[in-house]
Amino acid sequence: MTLFEAIILTIITASTPLLIAAIGELVVERAGVLNLGVEGMMVIGAAAGIAAAIATGSSTLGVLVAVLAGMALSLVFAALVLGLAANQVAAGLALAILGLGLSGVIGAPFVGVQRAGIGKIEVPLLSDIPFIGPVLFHQDPFVYASVALVIGVWWFLTRSRAGLVLRAVGENHAAAHALGYPVRRIRLLAILFGGGCAGLAGAYMSLVLTPFWTSGMTAGRGWIALAIVVFASWLPFRAMVGAYLFGALTILQLHAQSAGVPLPSQFLAALPYLITILVLVLIMRARRGGAAGPASLGVPFVPDR
Amino acid sequence: MNITRRHLMAGSAGLAGAAAFGHQAEAQSRLSVGVVLIGPVGDFGWSHMHDQGRRRMAEVLGDRVNATTVESVAPPDFDRVVTQLVRTGHRLIFTTSFSYFAPTQRMAPQHPGVFFENATGPTTLPNMAIYNARFYEGRYVQGVIAARKSRSKTIGYVATFPVPEVISAINTVMRGAWSVDPSMKVRVVWVNAWSNPAREADAARALIDQGCDVLCSHTDGPAPLQLAEQRGIFGFGQASDMTRFAPRAHLTSSVNNWGDYYADRAKAVLDGTWRPTDTWGGLGSGMFRMAPFTNMTPEEVSEATRIRDAIAAGTLHPFDGPITRQDGTVVIPAGRRLTDDEIRAQNYFYQGIDVAMP
Amino acid sequence: MKLVMERRTETPISLMLISPLIAVALTMISAAIMFALLGKDPVAALSTYFLDPLSDSWGLQEVAVKATPLVLIAVGLAVCYRAKVWNIGAEGQFLFGAMAGGYVAIITHGSTQGPWLLPVMLLAGAMAGACFALIPAILRIRFGANEILTSLMLVYVAELLLDFLVRGPWRDPAGFNMPNSVVFEAEATLPLLMAGGRLNIGTPIMIAVVLGFMLLMGRTLKGFEIRLVGEAPRAARFAGFSEARLIITVFMISGALAGLAGVLEAAGTIKQLQPGLSPGYGFTAIIVAFLGRLNPIGCLFAGVFIAITFIGGENAQIMLRLPLDATRVLQGLLLFFVLTCDSLLLYRFRLIRGAAA
Repeated sequence: MTLFEAIILTIITASTPLLIAAIGELVVERAGVLNLGVEGMMVIGAAAGIAAAIATGSSTLGVLVAVLAGMALSLVFAALVLGLAANQVAAGLALAILGLGLSGVIGAPFVGVQRAGIGKIEVPLLSDIPFIGPVLFHQDPFVYASVALVIGVWWFLTRSRAGLVLRAVGENHAAAHALGYPVRRIRLLAILFGGGCAGLAGAYMSLVLTPFWTSGMTAGRGWIALAIVVFASWLPFRAMVGAYLFGALTILQLHAQSAGVPLPSQFLAALPYLITILVLVLIMRARRGGAAGPASLGVPFVPDR
Repeated sequence: MNITRRHLMAGSAGLAGAAAFGHQAEAQSRLSVGVVLIGPVGDFGWSHMHDQGRRRMAEVLGDRVNATTVESVAPPDFDRVVTQLVRTGHRLIFTTSFSYFAPTQRMAPQHPGVFFENATGPTTLPNMAIYNARFYEGRYVQGVIAARKSRSKTIGYVATFPVPEVISAINTVMRGAWSVDPSMKVRVVWVNAWSNPAREADAARALIDQGCDVLCSHTDGPAPLQLAEQRGIFGFGQASDMTRFAPRAHLTSSVNNWGDYYADRAKAVLDGTWRPTDTWGGLGSGMFRMAPFTNMTPEEVSEATRIRDAIAAGTLHPFDGPITRQDGTVVIPAGRRLTDDEIRAQNYFYQGIDVAMP
Repeated sequence: MKLVMERRTETPISLMLISPLIAVALTMISAAIMFALLGKDPVAALSTYFLDPLSDSWGLQEVAVKATPLVLIAVGLAVCYRAKVWNIGAEGQFLFGAMAGGYVAIITHGSTQGPWLLPVMLLAGAMAGACFALIPAILRIRFGANEILTSLMLVYVAELLLDFLVRGPWRDPAGFNMPNSVVFEAEATLPLLMAGGRLNIGTPIMIAVVLGFMLLMGRTLKGFEIRLVGEAPRAARFAGFSEARLIITVFMISGALAGLAGVLEAAGTIKQLQPGLSPGYGFTAIIVAFLGRLNPIGCLFAGVFIAITFIGGENAQIMLRLPLDATRVLQGLLLFFVLTCDSLLLYRFRLIRGAAA
């Protein structure tokens, strides 16, 4: 394996949790709901995933429980913002605190417990192709799942009727309601999808990337995922670009340090953030105006009768 | 309600006693001990091991101590947490981070009847002791082992922040490595975090991809070691015995053990013999130990054991001169040895370490 | 049967008065249930969590000290959010303010200064915060770059810059190369207001800011403009208000207040610069702003409430031996209950027999 291949592989694994969480939040926001609690749902997915995997001995069950845990937490959020029309920003931030606390409670008995990670899937024949083989066809299942999610969400949002309705709800919930669409039910499903994705991203961290549990192990990736949704102008493939860009910059700065680039490590560590801003500015310059978020984003919905 | 009142009364009684006796220690039958942690107990690293120390102290002293842990205390909240500990009758308080050094120095004179202990701080006060372990001694042994194990002659170091503790650790690893093979090199990646497992793993990947085949880490989690296992190279554990995380890659771990020290100090307060000591325990003190050597040939094990025991016995010292900085200026000539204060404040790499000072 | 909610056209005065009491009562009951589930005596636990911080002068002073940065930042953010400008980088602006104010304290360290030192520090902090907040504002106006992303990313940049400064150029020369600045001289720290506690002039400054912004938002043209742009952007454009100028203004206001909070915190509680300067005040203040319904007085109450939950969490660790995570769960649930009660104020819930969807 060449150094270049190795770097690409590392970038893919570092970007995948960001991508999975971001694609979930993208659907939530497209439905007009702003859930800032991604970090909380992600970390509870990580804790519940490893706890279930250790308790049952099954990675599959671990992943399933992680997804369910993310969904369960998002359900609490949904109850508040849909059921009670509570403020979405405050509820989302409260969710982040709650998730962090609950994950610690769930994870406490598993601190320092060792578990084997989930292995990679080798696609027969294809994985023998030079360069493309190891990079594209020798990955863990989550990487394939993340790509499938992006394609699936893109298809859903742009090609399916249900996706059209979801976008309509996000753009103008009053009009969608007037047309007879069940605004709150659609949003509930979107929120659950977002929670499930965040849980899945958490499971990737605690079951694949670093198979063990420590408090707060998602270390702020949920917030980066939120930023990626904005970076992507709420478009699925651009979320993929954003996640991979951020992942690549993070990995490259580590490589630059290892290679002995004589710059303070704090400057190198700041580069992913600065370059992400720069790229966003360049994109916006290229196409003036750019896409604003869904028009109803963050606005509580209360049906008129 | 009852709990609160009782605690408050105990607190005021403690304060009254303190006022009467100054910081003259006085024997007592039961002691409340506070442990202030910079991170969460669940970090499986620095704070986790201090909490394990708290547990060990409780085991040793049983009913005679009553210990309280406060987790993830940010420096702006420190004064309040400590004051509240004092008000609720805690008379021995361990503040377990260098971030707490200046705040502890500020709080200690305000509470003369309470005994403070700051981990890794540089100076004492009449009612404030300092303590740390000479982790660098273990780093020297790691360097020796790494030089024996490495084919590429390059050690990878997953570092946290450029504080003297970490810098002197990198220096010592290399001193150990050079004692075996002067051509040994090191590559360093700073992850700018004390705990961020996925980034630690990414840093480990970058180091391995650039040719390192033995990994040292300063972050306390097992992530770099797990990576070493996956990639079929070697690595060292940190804070606790991490053999189980990498049965084929693990060479040894530095295992922190604060519990016996905590028990001794609590007992000193109980017996009225507490003094503001400066404890810097090495391999000989039991404040930390090397986990059993694994994945090594019998010759390698016996060499590592010999070096470890020589350091513990004080016959081998990792900071004997001559020591020269990267830029060629001499720190100390041959025949001299760095003083403890000089070791504590190291902020330069040694000549031969081909890494920019961050 | 179906439960239907509708927005209240006006909230009855009686409900306005009773609702906070109901909110507190509901919160207490739910907290008591949680404590009981955790195996603690609910009455004693409640008293530890909520009453102990308020039971004496020291406790009250600590609540004020903890609430001060939260309220200051939240008041600025509320102005931003009123104008529908989403500054979520207050944490970075807070740190920038602390760095600028701290820099003044560091360069004057060791020489006697006059009483001008502290005002200069506060001014430097506020200005630095405002300037740092100007970056996302300009990127938004010039390039249409979304300020949620830019302001959030700049938080990490500010954290790394502070880290670099205290490890390098601003490191205490006599500090064994530890990553912190010198401890500020007495002149460069905030005067205390009362014996037996840490209450300092930061709190009266915060209260003055709250009152000032009440007047600004309620009584001045600028306040009207901000509210109008947020609520009816098209009308605002007809009225001739410039959106660009407004974005600059609100970003600078919130940046300045966050920066002021930062320098007050550095000079008031820590008295030096070090990496652990903020336990996430800039993010917590976002909750405070929204709990306070984007209203300065509301922010004051919300900030005090959040401060009590933080201190209550510490007390629960110390006196009840609850682990930190349990206290976080409790804090999250408390916030949910407060939001629930808030909704009950804004909306009417009615059971309707046999209504269709």
